[in-house]
Amino acid sequence: MGFESLSDPVDVLTAFVDGRIQPLRFRWQGRVVRVRRVTGEWNRREGSTLLRYFSIESHASDTYELCYDPRGPRWILSRAWSARK
Amino acid sequence: MNRRILLVDMDAFFASIEQAHHPHLKGQPVIVCGDPSRRGVVTAASYEARPSGVHAGMPLQEARRLCPQAHYVEGDPEKYVAISLALLNLYLTVTPDVEPFSVDEAFLALQGRHGTHEAAHAIAVDLKRRITARFGLTASIGLGPNKLIAKMAAGLAKPDGLSDLDPEEFRRVFWPREAQSMWGVGPQLKTRLQSLGIATVGDLARAPAEALKAAFGIIGPQLREAAWGHDDTPLVPYHEGVEAKSMGHEVTLAEDCDDPAFLAGTLLRLSDQVGRRLRSEGYRGRTVAVKLRDHRFKTCIRQRVLPAFTADHRMIFDTARTLWREHWNGEALRLVGVTVSSLVRAASCDQTELFSPDERADRLRAAMDRVRDRLGEASLVPAGTLTHRRRLGHVPFGPVSGRPRS
Repeated sequence: MGFESLSDPVDVLTAFVDGRIQPLRFRWQGRVVRVRRVTGEWNRREGSTLLRYFSIESHASDTYELCYDPRGPRWILSRAWSARK
Repeated sequence: MNRRILLVDMDAFFASIEQAHHPHLKGQPVIVCGDPSRRGVVTAASYEARPSGVHAGMPLQEARRLCPQAHYVEGDPEKYVAISLALLNLYLTVTPDVEPFSVDEAFLALQGRHGTHEAAHAIAVDLKRRITARFGLTASIGLGPNKLIAKMAAGLAKPDGLSDLDPEEFRRVFWPREAQSMWGVGPQLKTRLQSLGIATVGDLARAPAEALKAAFGIIGPQLREAAWGHDDTPLVPYHEGVEAKSMGHEVTLAEDCDDPAFLAGTLLRLSDQVGRRLRSEGYRGRTVAVKLRDHRFKTCIRQRVLPAFTADHRMIFDTARTLWREHWNGEALRLVGVTVSSLVRAASCDQTELFSPDERADRLRAAMDRVRDRLGEASLVPAGTLTHRRRLGHVPFGPVSGRPRS
């Protein structure tokens, strides 16, 4: 299975660890995805807005890209890859 | 004074980022490209994919034939640039003398007590550890007394290598190797060197300087010096900046195209991107070039000098479109590009133009730039690009618009 490009608004439970935002779990397509670890972080500027991206691995070994958009504020699920067939 | 130069070369940078961010890809052949469902070229190949013969720049179709089992991942240029800048900030914690060489390479100068062999080696080891801890990536580092030796040393033990050479060791290692292993010697130069009986780096070092000058002009003796490991190229620190010589964008089309309206729309979008970049970085240019590659991979590059310096996308587009009309033979095209060169700083142009020929257009352009600065590149685009944007899809290293849900 390949990557799926998305633009889905999602509810994300986060924590602030050492002054950094840390996604812990999010709800997508009626289920809760628990974050095992953040595998990457980067920023992207869209005009004057700084979007924060997180690449995460779930406890089910799926990987996702979450984007925090401070204009909402809101979270967007921008990419997903499922380990299950 | 003690001084060592480090060249930090990120290993298979784009593919390694995807493997770090998506752990299921680790140890797997990964090929980073544009939209994998469309046609395009390989942007980067992981070390696991390279034994199949896949390399950057190869058409995706050929890569799929050579390495069908690979994971084909749509690249995210903005992500790679963001991580490259984060790496740069990490390097700046080591020394203020950092020169970015490309998106995945940078030179660092260590001086004084940090510039001894032992200290520089220890700093390189620690830097590799910090890169892996923070980014999950590996780097190969070359150490030497100058940029040339550092650069060539970095290539000796990839991936995740660390090589430290002095000029004597450089000569011992590189003189038996073929001349093309020299930094800056490509296949064409190699062939010309061979015609003079120069096959190895050692042959180049021992060749008479006069003969090299007669054959290659000023670079002949420079090549000979390089073969001895001599290089006095200064390191230009990041904070001092380097003046741009040209700015351009090109795109491989999703399918071969002979539709004039679509090609004109593509040229307009590319011209708009180039003009916007020139203005945002404070440049104007005077030479416009258009690049056309047809379905047989035949490439035509034509350029024209403008009467005045410009950063106006309309003037760039008008020139690019004229060049395209003059030199396009009607064959379906697979790649189109627009470049502006002969750049100068905008401020130097403003001083010579007391009265702008079109102040209203200048004000309109400035207003459009302010909208884009605030709301993003996709917030305002030339109307002529709208029809073709729906068909164009991924534009590598161009401003990114919101993609429709797949």
